[in-house]
Amino acid sequence: MLELFPSREAGPFGRRLKRERGARIPVTVVTGFLGAGKTTLIRRFLASPEGQGTAVIVNEFGAVGIDDALVRDAAEETILLGNGCLCCITRTDLQLALRRLLIDRERGVVPNFARVVIETSGLADPAPILQTFSTDRALGGEFHIDVMLAVADAVNGGATLKNAAEARKQVILADRLIVSKSDLAAAGLDSLTRYLQKLNPRAGIDVAVGGALNPERFIAPATAERSGFIAEAEHSDGISSFALHWREPIEWTGFARAMETLIALRGPELLRVKGILNVAGCRGPVVVQYVQHLAHPPAELQSWPDQNRDSRVVFITRNIPEAQIRDLFAAVERLVSHGA
Amino acid sequence: MLTKDESPLTKGYQPVVWNFKLLAHDMLGGFGGMGEGMSVQIAPDGRRIVWLAHESAPKNFTAVDVSDPRKPKVVCQTDLPHANMRSNSLETAGDLMAVAYQTSKKDLQPAGFELFDISKPENPKSISFFDCSGPHSRGVHQLWFCDGEFVHCASGSRDFVPTNPNDDQFYRCVDVRNPSKPVEIGRWWMPGTRQGDNVMPPPRHPIDKGYRAHNTNVYPQRGDRCYLAYIDGGMFVLDISDKANPKKISHWTNSPPYTGFMHTVVPLFDRGLMLVTDESTENNAKDWPKLIWILDARDETNLVPIATCPMPDHRVYAQAGRFGAHNIHENVPLPTAWQSDQIVLGTFFNGGLRAYDISNPYQPKEVGIFMPPPPAGAPAGTIQINDVFVDERAIVYAVDRHVGGLYILEMDF
Repeated sequence: MLELFPSREAGPFGRRLKRERGARIPVTVVTGFLGAGKTTLIRRFLASPEGQGTAVIVNEFGAVGIDDALVRDAAEETILLGNGCLCCITRTDLQLALRRLLIDRERGVVPNFARVVIETSGLADPAPILQTFSTDRALGGEFHIDVMLAVADAVNGGATLKNAAEARKQVILADRLIVSKSDLAAAGLDSLTRYLQKLNPRAGIDVAVGGALNPERFIAPATAERSGFIAEAEHSDGISSFALHWREPIEWTGFARAMETLIALRGPELLRVKGILNVAGCRGPVVVQYVQHLAHPPAELQSWPDQNRDSRVVFITRNIPEAQIRDLFAAVERLVSHGA
Repeated sequence: MLTKDESPLTKGYQPVVWNFKLLAHDMLGGFGGMGEGMSVQIAPDGRRIVWLAHESAPKNFTAVDVSDPRKPKVVCQTDLPHANMRSNSLETAGDLMAVAYQTSKKDLQPAGFELFDISKPENPKSISFFDCSGPHSRGVHQLWFCDGEFVHCASGSRDFVPTNPNDDQFYRCVDVRNPSKPVEIGRWWMPGTRQGDNVMPPPRHPIDKGYRAHNTNVYPQRGDRCYLAYIDGGMFVLDISDKANPKKISHWTNSPPYTGFMHTVVPLFDRGLMLVTDESTENNAKDWPKLIWILDARDETNLVPIATCPMPDHRVYAQAGRFGAHNIHENVPLPTAWQSDQIVLGTFFNGGLRAYDISNPYQPKEVGIFMPPPPAGAPAGTIQINDVFVDERAIVYAVDRHVGGLYILEMDF
């Protein structure tokens, strides 16, 4: 339908965006196990100038909403999801809460918040939260996850990560890792940092001192940390991460077909796929993101972040060896290049 | 249920900045009541100068050095000869500037437009004055001048006797290729608005603002077309391939049932689209809704409205000053003007400056809002953002109609 009104200014994926989130509302997701220091981190952010105009959504698991009471003073608007873990029955609650925020803002019932922070319950699996923001039909047209943080505390973090698969998954899927309570356990800091690095070598690690993190690091989009695209890691729990690279511009059709095939065959095991592509015929890089069977609409940016023009895609998968995905891409590429 | 005190409808104006970055704000020496003429010149010495028309006397125009958009500097501010006139519109082409003069009553002087040599921005030199005064004329309200050759304007004339006194300004094309001797070469008015026409005068609108010309846009992509907004008469596409004999190609209006005052027509040539704006002229949103319309213009003889840019609840804004559409960035065909057929930037008085993504023209989406706090001394207690211009660096200039002067912004979406 839109080819009725073509534009030389737009690319094959629509208006070229200045940044990945376009005009959508930026979201910071804060994960981390129970007691890791998520609420303190959020409170300190809300107290900073950068934290002005932030709406907070708190997901409490089971108990009374204590954390909600802690952040309510500072936030523009706090919504408590009390029905359990975000990853399970309350994903719909999260959608409803975010939609309510939008409607209330439009009606002027809540202030004009410019950012959303979601504090997950300690037990939350981040993948369904990522899915919530994946498509226009969900909330992807209005909100964009700029960064997903995982908080681990220097006192108990190491033990928690060793004992709890949920905690490890939070770290593995995060864009940025925050070590908290470093003032309480300076001795354990190095070993925790090394362990975090091993679990997720592509994420930067920041240390929160006295519960405070540089506010910029609380909100800076994850795209700024794409230098980690070369990282590869093998994890416990059958999870592995690796990156595919292409030096030459790629044909979108081939890439899209390969991803469609992968999603159809192994969708539930694609925990997170994120990358920037040098697509033949596009001026700027094309950002792609997949969470399990859901694909974000691809978006072309106005310019490349640096001189590197390689296509780079990071896969975080469960029980899918890297070789299988490489073989699949190679096979689909051959088929497409032969006009299949 | 909200109580009256809690209701956002009674809370009034709340500043919002969303996806714009304010780089600088200049109150222009205390004369910050700005009109709807904005143009960017690169002066011979390399400085970037934005020329700004004032809404009303005592000032004529102001030039601001915006070479560093974070540090604007007023380099020139001139006075009008008297208080019963205004110079609400101006345009530059190279080192030439045309300034519109409109008097508050008919048969006053000076009514017309003046051409200036602005090669030295601190010292604009008058080249000539084109007189449009007359017993039924207030002179020129608005002009379009981008090619250095022709001024297209909304003007009265000594020999034009309107059928209704509100219908005094019509489309005129003036040849200024010899800038010291401007010569009218063509004109067009809506049939029925001039005494002696062989059709009946048009019916009046409940809010009668006149069947008269406003914006008179002409673009090199279609140099044989004038996109003419005609206030209560809607808008016209004119064939000006013979400038001496403009001919109507098509007409579109939204009023009634809307409340008239069509203001600007901007064609998006590549896309076969057209942007049409209304102007809000009544305080407290009494003439709501005033909108930016998107027309399917693939067939210029059959213009089809397909969408409007969404606006917030007018009741929130209906408490002080004007609220509603007015000027948009017009893709002025100058090397110093930003060109976009994906983003529309419009001014909405107390609704501030708003940006819309029209990549899907059926579903325009708001992507940015700039509603700063009311400037000191704002008579309406709110901003009244009046006009916008975007330079080729994508730096946004927006002006306030009452006191706020110039806001310089970056788009962040």
